[in-house]
Amino acid sequence: MHRRHFLGGMAGGLAVAPSKAAVDCGCAQILAQAPAPGVLDRVGTKVRVTKMKVFGVSLTPDSDRPYVFVKLETNQGVVGWGEATLEGKAAAVMACVNDFSEFIVGADPMQVEHHWQSMYVHSFYRAGPVMGSAISGIDQALWDIRGKILGMPVYKLLGGPSDPAGVRGYYHARTSNPEQLQALRQVAKLQGITAIKSGIPGYYEWIETNAKITRAVKAMQMLRENLGPEIDIGIDFHAKTSPSVAAILVKEVEPLNLMFIEEPCPPENVKAMARIARRSTTPIATGERLIASYSCRELIEMGVVDILQCDINHVGGITALWKVGAMAEPSGISMAPHACEGPIGGLATIHVDAATPNFLVQEICSGIQPEDKENIWAEWLGFPAMRMVNGRFPLPEKPGLGFELQEEALAKYPFGGTKPMARVFHTDGSVAEW
Amino acid sequence: MAAGNDPLEMKELRAFAVREPVSGRRYTLLRLETRGGLKGWGECPETTERELAHARQLLAGMQPTAYEITWRKLSPVPRLRAAINMAQLDIVGQVAKAPVYQVLGGPTRTKARAMAAITGLTPTELLTSMDTARKTGYAAFSVPIPPTEWRNQGQAYIFNVRGRMEILRKNAGPDSDFVLDGGGQLTPGDASSISAELERFHLLWLDEPCAVSNLGAVRKVSSENVTPLGFGRWLGQSGGFQDLLREEAVDILRPNVALHGISQIRRIAALGESYYVAVAPYHDGGPVATAAALHLAASIPNFFIQQIPAVADADKLMRTAIAGDIERIKDGFAELNPAPGLGLQINEKALDKFRDRG
Repeated sequence: MHRRHFLGGMAGGLAVAPSKAAVDCGCAQILAQAPAPGVLDRVGTKVRVTKMKVFGVSLTPDSDRPYVFVKLETNQGVVGWGEATLEGKAAAVMACVNDFSEFIVGADPMQVEHHWQSMYVHSFYRAGPVMGSAISGIDQALWDIRGKILGMPVYKLLGGPSDPAGVRGYYHARTSNPEQLQALRQVAKLQGITAIKSGIPGYYEWIETNAKITRAVKAMQMLRENLGPEIDIGIDFHAKTSPSVAAILVKEVEPLNLMFIEEPCPPENVKAMARIARRSTTPIATGERLIASYSCRELIEMGVVDILQCDINHVGGITALWKVGAMAEPSGISMAPHACEGPIGGLATIHVDAATPNFLVQEICSGIQPEDKENIWAEWLGFPAMRMVNGRFPLPEKPGLGFELQEEALAKYPFGGTKPMARVFHTDGSVAEW
Repeated sequence: MAAGNDPLEMKELRAFAVREPVSGRRYTLLRLETRGGLKGWGECPETTERELAHARQLLAGMQPTAYEITWRKLSPVPRLRAAINMAQLDIVGQVAKAPVYQVLGGPTRTKARAMAAITGLTPTELLTSMDTARKTGYAAFSVPIPPTEWRNQGQAYIFNVRGRMEILRKNAGPDSDFVLDGGGQLTPGDASSISAELERFHLLWLDEPCAVSNLGAVRKVSSENVTPLGFGRWLGQSGGFQDLLREEAVDILRPNVALHGISQIRRIAALGESYYVAVAPYHDGGPVATAAALHLAASIPNFFIQQIPAVADADKLMRTAIAGDIERIKDGFAELNPAPGLGLQINEKALDKFRDRG
């Protein structure tokens, strides 16, 4: 069937010999030998994916980050869920997930590594956030099915847990007001929360003024003063700063002993980030925009990062996030995965965290008080998916990713279409990073 | 079209040398006139009649739209290339009835941050020069380092540098910003010491702290400190900027408008962008080159600030008289000029009045 598709699309589905035109690429030999999805059938199981569904879910009609959920159904009645949310590019990633249906429908869902390789390698162009997110969604759903069929939560399949009480997490500060930060410190202490993340104010040009640099440093000092020495503080530069500006800031805040500075400059240029890291002892974290473990090699090898933050919804799912952790460990690099999308990716990342020896801390893009989206998650899943208990995200105990989700529950939040993410500009109208 | 009939072909290339009455700064305006009667203006530090004659030969039969292609062809007359590039783009803009920044794919911004290059040997002289510039709207200033007495500087020199910068900031307020211009005079070791001493002062950058005699020397300064470094005013080839970027020795590229014109700096900016490094063209000439630099600024994403010489009132009057009110600064930013081409209003009578009589 697969071969027919490649070679005989115009002949009403009948297999035909490749025309001259079709062999001009010089790859006809390869296409003729292209393995069907069932190439490993002889060593596989009888489980088959029978259907793939993609859901765009907008919590509000104008949401710029609708969730993209992937559901795989099997001939055993077991279903798997995954998340392929890509902020600002929802429709594109939904189309890309559908582009992979030929890879997945009819396949043995237990062969997750094989399918990951096929989706990535046979796509030829490799990587990119749209494809990375699509693969992530499918990969998570395959792992969900695997766990359910094998009767174990995914973190156990991966060799965990490191701590049965759960995985350490951090909330976002959601305030820069000194009194509110002091209150946050008290609540965090009561709840056992040990880490908080915040950002730096404003947007930054390639070179910065004394006023802006001083303001940023003061904002970071103020966080430490009001949160106290016990709470670990991460500060997200969000790639708003150039290497030249970030180098000044990370050096100047060394006395604050921050947990990390995140994305001190944009991620395409590893040597630029290295130049920042080399001149400061402040730990550097990055990786939320990177796709597949290949993209982490230079960061690790050049001694740029202390902490990698790959996102399970973009990097390539459970398979790829686990690999990043594995390759980071020998260099003493810790994992603090990014999670700013929906609850499926959130739960999936907890499974990987729980089985990662070099795991540091897990993000949730929420404040210490539950936010509206989390009430909706609880409504879908029947439990608060990403709320910490004693500073840790509890481990889902059911097989697979550990939740049940009904399609009908999502229907209340229909896809509102792709909406652009924030667009911000400097005082002269030129484009700014946010 | 047969040679000689194209209305866009060069009819005449002429130079007008002028001299500022107070500063004595000299520059030469170049007028490229087409057969169709359009006049494009550019600016270079100086030229000779022999160079002009050579340039006329090289430009024969070329349309001004071929401004990128012309660049290499004009290699034998390097002092004229930037000026001819400006003049060509001035004409292209007039033909397109669009400001040059629009011809080049802009605008990328609504205004361009500006910096006055102030002068003076003593803090008092510097304060006077800075005050004049502040009154005309500047909020950022390039400040020359004090003259160096010895090859290696002692602590007194470093304190002197720091002291005068603090005096300037105290006078101009915390929202004023400074580039410290080393003029290539320091050894790499001294440059690094001053860079370290001023890390918390938050210079915009330390400019030309030492000579770019080799990349290892400048790498020393950039690897020891986080004060941003600017280099490039003497670099005539874009490959020199690539070397600095590759060596991670530079935070802001400073191609000289007088050497590179508009389109070469656009290419250097494209290179810098992929290193997350911005461009702040060096400029110590007249108003035509300022106009060219501002169009450049509004056509690239990674422009940061445009240096403009701080001049006495009489010099400012001359600059306005010969080219129009190009250097209008408000709240630290230069306005963009939306008129076609470079948007100059050249007064040839004024050019004669201020003619450089040697």
